[in-house]
Amino acid sequence: MRNGILDRMMSFGISDEALGCVLGYIHDHRDRESVSLVCRRWYEMDSMTRKHITIALCYTTSPASLSRRFPYLESLTLKGKPRAAMFNLIPEDWGGYATPWINEIAETFRCLKSLHFRRMIVKDMDLEVLVRARGYMLQDLKLDKCSGFSTDGLLYVTRSCRSLRTLFLEESTIIEKDGEWLHELALNNTVLETLNFYLTDLTKIKVRDLELIARNSRSLLSMKVSDYEILDLVGFFHAATALNEFGGGSYGLPSGDYSAVAFPQSLHCLGLSYMEKNQMPIVFPFAHLLKKLDLLYAFLDTEDHCQLIHRCPNLEVLETRNVIGDRGLEVLASSCKKLRRLRIERGEDEHGLEDEQGVVSQRGLTALAQGCLELEYLAIYVSDITNAPLESLGTFCKNLSDFRLVLLNREEKITELPLDHGVRALLRGCQKLKRFALYLRPGGLTDVGLSYIGQYSHNVRWMLLGFVGESDAGLLDFSRGCPNLQKLEMRGCVFSEHALAVAVMQLISLRYLWVQGYKVSSTGHDLLTMARPFWNIELIPSRTVFVTDALGNDAVVEHPAHILAYYSLAHPRTDRPKTVIRLYPSSCTNS
Amino acid sequence: MSRETVELDFFEMEKENPSKSQFQKLLKQRRTVRGIQSAISKINPQLLKTVIESGTATGSSDGKSPAIGISRDTGVLLPSKKSFSVPSTPKGNQNFVPTFPVVNPNFRPTPESPPETAPLTIFYNGTVSVFDVPRDKAEKIMKLAIDFNTKTVESTETELAVSSSEEKHLLQTLNGGLPMARRKSLLSFLEKRKERYAKFRALLSLGPAQIPVLADYLANILV
Repeated sequence: MRNGILDRMMSFGISDEALGCVLGYIHDHRDRESVSLVCRRWYEMDSMTRKHITIALCYTTSPASLSRRFPYLESLTLKGKPRAAMFNLIPEDWGGYATPWINEIAETFRCLKSLHFRRMIVKDMDLEVLVRARGYMLQDLKLDKCSGFSTDGLLYVTRSCRSLRTLFLEESTIIEKDGEWLHELALNNTVLETLNFYLTDLTKIKVRDLELIARNSRSLLSMKVSDYEILDLVGFFHAATALNEFGGGSYGLPSGDYSAVAFPQSLHCLGLSYMEKNQMPIVFPFAHLLKKLDLLYAFLDTEDHCQLIHRCPNLEVLETRNVIGDRGLEVLASSCKKLRRLRIERGEDEHGLEDEQGVVSQRGLTALAQGCLELEYLAIYVSDITNAPLESLGTFCKNLSDFRLVLLNREEKITELPLDHGVRALLRGCQKLKRFALYLRPGGLTDVGLSYIGQYSHNVRWMLLGFVGESDAGLLDFSRGCPNLQKLEMRGCVFSEHALAVAVMQLISLRYLWVQGYKVSSTGHDLLTMARPFWNIELIPSRTVFVTDALGNDAVVEHPAHILAYYSLAHPRTDRPKTVIRLYPSSCTNS
Repeated sequence: MSRETVELDFFEMEKENPSKSQFQKLLKQRRTVRGIQSAISKINPQLLKTVIESGTATGSSDGKSPAIGISRDTGVLLPSKKSFSVPSTPKGNQNFVPTFPVVNPNFRPTPESPPETAPLTIFYNGTVSVFDVPRDKAEKIMKLAIDFNTKTVESTETELAVSSSEEKHLLQTLNGGLPMARRKSLLSFLEKRKERYAKFRALLSLGPAQIPVLADYLANILV
């Protein structure tokens, strides 16, 4: 808001009521932040009318601070463990406990109806407290990649929360005692819209409860289940007439007759877990209606992908593994012009377990860039790369806001490295880019390339950089740019602690840093160059972990040291496990 | 499955000191999986080559204190400090050279073993480790052990000297540096798929009648 307009508004003496009405239309948190900085009155008005808050790291503030500032909050999202936890890199007891937050919610937040915990530790007791205080009002509960609770905790929720529209448990680690929680949900709820226990190991689910839910909740739109046999869900599909989205389950019987499965007419979003070539044709009759397709956990080869994708001209979102291959990407580029989001994950590295055609390289990526002009999100694991497809992306994909490229270690020799020019072209061309990840190998990006990233990533707020740059000079150059970079993750880079610390001081918007794989010193002393008020520095020193995998094989895993640093207005946390060390100068009290 | 083995004085225990002290340095490695693997990869490749070549001439079980046994069907290197006698098959002294993975890059597994991965067993200083490694990776590991010393003059004592990025990423899964981490969800999926594959491999041994159906299923599981 420019000063001219501001003066006019102030001089008109806008009433609180009017201001409140206007603020009701302002939702974007950055606009709200601007509003709150205008004057005391506007700050207070914003505080009273703010409906939603996302706290990207739960230790950056305290529950009491939140309730003091935004007492009428209706929706809260809290994130705990660093993103690296999704890759098994963070100790389970690192932190991210929901308890203090739930206690505060129970006591002060009278309007809260929507709660989302991501990568946090939630206990059954927490759920009991939450339900007792807010259960009658709770509409959306998301325990997203959480751990620490059991089906008993879920029972508290489903027994009492009759207004629940969304229950989301995807990828949470849940101690399963029975299937009672689902039964209670089936009995007590008629307004459920979304139920998701995908990628959990819940097995004591009764199919008749799912059918009952479908019959009782006429507005059920989205259902994602754990590994439940699809043939047993025929009754459920028959009852869920409004279903828009289905994922999970298991096409587990090779000789099963899946043609008997009649999916609801309105199904636009589908996940095909463990589906094989023979079963694929059951999707063909309605493939042209599909907007979202999840093949991450399917048993399909490159040819299968081509056959299926070719039939999906309305596809907007696709997730799959790199078994799709360059050929599959070419089919995608020519058939799916409406594609907005594409995620290509890393499949099997071992030979013989995945289709040998299943490699993604510059060939497929170039076709994609030139064919799918509406792309907004692209995350891709490639086996080979050149600068050309990156340049193409910069030229053609102007809507790209989230780009992530990982170069696998399958090939010794990469066709064209470094990627300096391609990266520059991509960043210059994709002005809307807000999230950017580049994970390469030594030689993948020079110091010059790294400085390009600093120079041309004007709007980028989050970055993951892996094995980029050659020396500290590159990092220092990089950190003189990136004016809007708030969150930086780095892995496998050759930078010294001193350079990291200086870079942090130079990145003007930085509020969160995670690094693993750097020139570790024995004391970490140089890191203190970045010591300053409200900046918390945590160190997880290198560890040796003994693990047993799913097949019962024991292995020794070396975890190199991590640095985690973040701004916080709260007191330094007291729930650190022994594996996490706090770094601060001895002269600093940091309170 | 015939198990043809040959004993070789891999570490030339009967010969001069240099190799012996080198071997003793290897013994000081930590007894972890990584330690064992890095120790094996530091074995003097010139030594390995000459010893194997000389070993084929002398044959097996000749009473010397053997330090290595090689199992043909799986391509196994078995170095051991203590002497042990692994009897050779009655087939006697044949020319083993073409079947050694180390000297013959065209090593083929026996028909009974699956082409995708084969167990690579490493006996080291009283401990045994088994790794399921695809054939080409096994060959690479062996080749690397041979080539290693041509790039670095002496193998270093306390650190694994990885001189080129080529070696670095080849060994990436072995030396633990900073391997590319996998998402939990995908890791779990890939492990489940391996389990399914293993189950059906076991079922395959049931009988010829079941094989056509199961083989067809297997063909699907493999992708």
